[in-house]
Amino acid sequence: MSILEPTAPVEAESLFRRNMAAFMENRLAFGSAIVVVLFVLMAVFAPWIAPNDPYATNLFFRLQPPVWMEGGDWAYPLGADSLGRCILSRIIYGARISIFIGAAVIIVATSIGILAGLAAGYLRGWVDVVISRLVDILLGFPYLIFAIGLMAMMGPGLGNIILALAYKEWVIPCRVVRGETLATRELEYVEAARALGASGRHIMLREILPNILSPVIVVATIRMAHVIILEASLSFLGLGVQPPTASWGAMVADGRAFILVSWWVSTFPGLAILLLVLAINVASQGLRDAFDPRFTE
Amino acid sequence: MTLTRLLERLLQLIPVLLGVSVIVFVMMALTPGDPIQIMIGDQIVTAEQEAQMRRDIGLDRPMVERFFVFLGNAIQFDFGQSFYHRRPVADVILERLPATIELTIVAMLIALVTAIPLGVLAAVRKNSIFDRIATVGGLLGVSLPGFWFGILLLMLFAVHLNILPVAGRINYGISQGITPYTHFLLIDTLLNGRLDAFRNALAHIILPAVTLGLPMTAILMRVTRTAMLEVLRTDYVTFAQAKGLSRQRILWRHALKNALIPTVSVAAIETGSLLGGNMIIETVFGWPGLGRLVVESIFVRNYPLVQAAVLLYAVIYVMLNFFADILYTILNPRVKL
Amino acid sequence: MKAIHRTLVASAIAFGMAPSVQAQELIVGFTRDADTLDPANHRNRETETIIRNIYDGVLTRSSDMQIHPEVAESFTQVSATVYDFTIRPGITFHDGSALTVEDVKFTLDRVVLEGGMGGGQSSPRASLMGPVESIEILDESTLRITLSEPWPLLPAMLPHQQIVSQAHVEAIGADGMATQAMGAGPFRLAEWRRGDSVILERFDAYYGGATGIPEAGPACVERVIFQVIPESASRVAALLSGDVHLINELPPHSMNQVNNSPNAQVMTVNGTRSFFLALNNEGEIFNDVRVRQAVAHAIDRDLIIDRILSGTATPIDGILSPDAFGKNHDLPAYDYNPERARALLAEAGYPDGITVTLDTEGALRDTAEAIASLLTNAGITTRVQVGESTLLTQKWRTQGGPKEGDIYLTSWGNSTLDPFDIFVPTHRTNDRGNAAGYSNPELDALLDEAAVELDRARRGEMYQQAEAMVNADLPYVYLWVPQDIYGVSTRLSNWSPSPDSRINLHRACLD
Repeated sequence: MSILEPTAPVEAESLFRRNMAAFMENRLAFGSAIVVVLFVLMAVFAPWIAPNDPYATNLFFRLQPPVWMEGGDWAYPLGADSLGRCILSRIIYGARISIFIGAAVIIVATSIGILAGLAAGYLRGWVDVVISRLVDILLGFPYLIFAIGLMAMMGPGLGNIILALAYKEWVIPCRVVRGETLATRELEYVEAARALGASGRHIMLREILPNILSPVIVVATIRMAHVIILEASLSFLGLGVQPPTASWGAMVADGRAFILVSWWVSTFPGLAILLLVLAINVASQGLRDAFDPRFTE
Repeated sequence: MTLTRLLERLLQLIPVLLGVSVIVFVMMALTPGDPIQIMIGDQIVTAEQEAQMRRDIGLDRPMVERFFVFLGNAIQFDFGQSFYHRRPVADVILERLPATIELTIVAMLIALVTAIPLGVLAAVRKNSIFDRIATVGGLLGVSLPGFWFGILLLMLFAVHLNILPVAGRINYGISQGITPYTHFLLIDTLLNGRLDAFRNALAHIILPAVTLGLPMTAILMRVTRTAMLEVLRTDYVTFAQAKGLSRQRILWRHALKNALIPTVSVAAIETGSLLGGNMIIETVFGWPGLGRLVVESIFVRNYPLVQAAVLLYAVIYVMLNFFADILYTILNPRVKL
Repeated sequence: MKAIHRTLVASAIAFGMAPSVQAQELIVGFTRDADTLDPANHRNRETETIIRNIYDGVLTRSSDMQIHPEVAESFTQVSATVYDFTIRPGITFHDGSALTVEDVKFTLDRVVLEGGMGGGQSSPRASLMGPVESIEILDESTLRITLSEPWPLLPAMLPHQQIVSQAHVEAIGADGMATQAMGAGPFRLAEWRRGDSVILERFDAYYGGATGIPEAGPACVERVIFQVIPESASRVAALLSGDVHLINELPPHSMNQVNNSPNAQVMTVNGTRSFFLALNNEGEIFNDVRVRQAVAHAIDRDLIIDRILSGTATPIDGILSPDAFGKNHDLPAYDYNPERARALLAEAGYPDGITVTLDTEGALRDTAEAIASLLTNAGITTRVQVGESTLLTQKWRTQGGPKEGDIYLTSWGNSTLDPFDIFVPTHRTNDRGNAAGYSNPELDALLDEAAVELDRARRGEMYQQAEAMVNADLPYVYLWVPQDIYGVSTRLSNWSPSPDSRINLHRACLD
């Protein structure tokens, strides 16, 4: 049941340009995209922006409130966490981890998903059977439980978090790509390429892929938002990144124990997640509206 | 839907379940950690006693043998004994299942009830301020970690306002004398004609269900909006307009009926992911569901329970998809499966 | 604002949340559910805490950790390996049947015999009974336990076994025992809502429990509910909102908030769990005692106890808790002195310091990070690595197998407060909990001797000597013994926390 129907076999590039133009017109979505870019810039330039060393502990400032509250201080604008570390600086550095995890999982998963989906949809036959069965099996696992099991199996660490999430995540782009490929492979221009003797690889990567990329991009951005939330869930269960580095999810999860006495420890990273993920979601919705031909009126 | 098609779908269950069994078994087998050591902790034990404990739960056998024993028994619906509960795994899981299902369904209902009107209005007033606010508001729900939001809700409603309870399904005192026909408390209390107990159960379920259902609201609202937009452009709506039917009547009677098909199908499928994704909410709200049990079991290496529970999730997932397909066919006779 | 509040209260009443008049319902916000209600078929502390309110033991402990006869009237040690217990007459089980000496024998046999649980299964609690050789009935009120070798710990460990009814077990079998509890304790099981709560009701015909503990008699409250609330913030929230009257594992940082609230307060008790850093004595770096001493001097224990644990821990300079039997109270302390630490490192051949990894489980992450930062300041660059506790156990508690890793922040419990079950496993060569990989034949001999020494004073001296040895050798850096922290409603009276983390509610009252 694909909500996304195949795009018309128009010259891929001009279509992309037209879609981008539609996207830019959507001010809300465009603004959100800018917010996302700002977050990325914040992550990249973290060492220049952060007021403090995010890893420097000082127990004398443990749970110090933000500057505007009684006992607050400009030294720690958003207060300090349970080890007296600057929350603002940790949020700025944490953007690196959270965005990296989100992006890495999606890049790995989408790459695998595209290749598997193209193969299944274009080659059909036993390749399709094997891939589709694998997809069915993986879909039968609850996402988080699968990831928890993998983390228990592989042990902690940033790389393992990415793998644990990507092992199941690739199924989603794979299904999209397979569906689109099935619909596209019978179209005239693909038939034509085949008649001209183009190799299967050429047809898949050069003819089909560019024309089905739009829905894949839309799905990838939506899923990236989802992955950032999932990483927070893993942190809640104690399977997050290793100290002293912290993703936003880990900061919220570790800070939740203090929520009744020092709400700022988990609330600010929580707001950071909210803002970034919301911006990604709104932007991707704009992308979908712009790229899905049914709504380009 | 033909009978062959039905059988075909049921047959597809077999490779999926077999695959799930193999993967979950291999994963647990490759996972380091020892349930016996976890059980003993830092209490006194001799080497013989430790070996005896290992024999008693069958962990002294080779892995391959354990797998085939598991598979052979599973076909007969025997999933072995839970290492820690010392009772059949099936019993332990089934006891926790009603709470999880009840929470999931209530969460889904809350999501549907808010998502459908919002989605319809957003479609009707496409690109209006309302559409934008509803879209962003809906997306708020998928954009925050559920456990964080849940704890915030707890602070507000349970501590500061003190109008809702923190944990559990119902107060024991108020629940006495209620015959558990279905083990779903909201239904049982009503069947027993006990409005006081119903209200109490409702008060317990409302915060976890809202927290769990919130992300779903956004998804369902989006599906409704999309489907509604599509329906509104179809010929027969234009035809109905031409016939002079009132706008309200067209909207709510004709258009919505068709637009609901994808929404309900997506809801049915997503119910599966809610069911398998509520362990964190269950922890925060002390909800006695299956998700929390499964996660705890992974951490203490309670292999039989994890295997059985994952199989159950897979069955439910496949059945829900199947159900969504049927629903789709019934509601929309134009679709042939 | 007032109007809003009134509306909310009105809607609260509409929701059925109005304060109920059932004054005698004591609700405990508890970290986890029982695994089973069969006293002989689990290995879990929280499970035992719940079960203990339904079943009584031959002996029990008061909250000051004294051993008191409970179902037994008295007991005597006949010889080094023989103990006689006189069972109190007139005790009845919840079903009205009399508790006899046969029931006691049956209970203990079920635990110690191989295959004692039936179906070829043995009790996972067998090891808690020590080297029992036989359990015999001497006459209708006397039971004799014979050990195969002397084991002075027996009276201290017997409170871990709860008496079941032979007729009941034979009627419902081992499977039935898991859910159908029927004992002779102060409360009988009303209902067990799995994963949610265990509901107990007062047993009116209760014989009164240990006479040695004041106010023997039937329980004070009519009903007790153990409500499962795993998340600590939620547990505190439930206490503050009045949903529950007692919570365990209150986080130290919430103490002020609870004490400042009008309806609850904090109660603490010295725990029995010693925290320490295991240094890999087999490794290249830490096989030098000077490096181990450097670690000890680099850590400001008072700072961590004060800031992170809110002052709720007592520093230790040996493995034993200050409350333990045989504690050496004259151990020299390794004071906080980063300069001394650097000097010791240089002396050991590391003028530029060392780089190490500190393993720990998630729950101790804050403490580990604070320790790492102190160590790093003193030239021991430390990276914290958090892992699942079962994996760390495999990595560190190798019982003599090869060991990787540098430092492991961990703990060992000592619920009897007798040195035997903490000193031997953590310090004897290749024993189960010897994460440091420490081996000292002289200490091994001393521990073996102390384990069977029957002269209490002499035994105490032996452990004092042993603690002095490990304080000098420093295989571990001993840190502290934290307090157990409970939150209690101001309505609760006549309950005090116990160092062994049990929550016996027999005498607790609610007003």
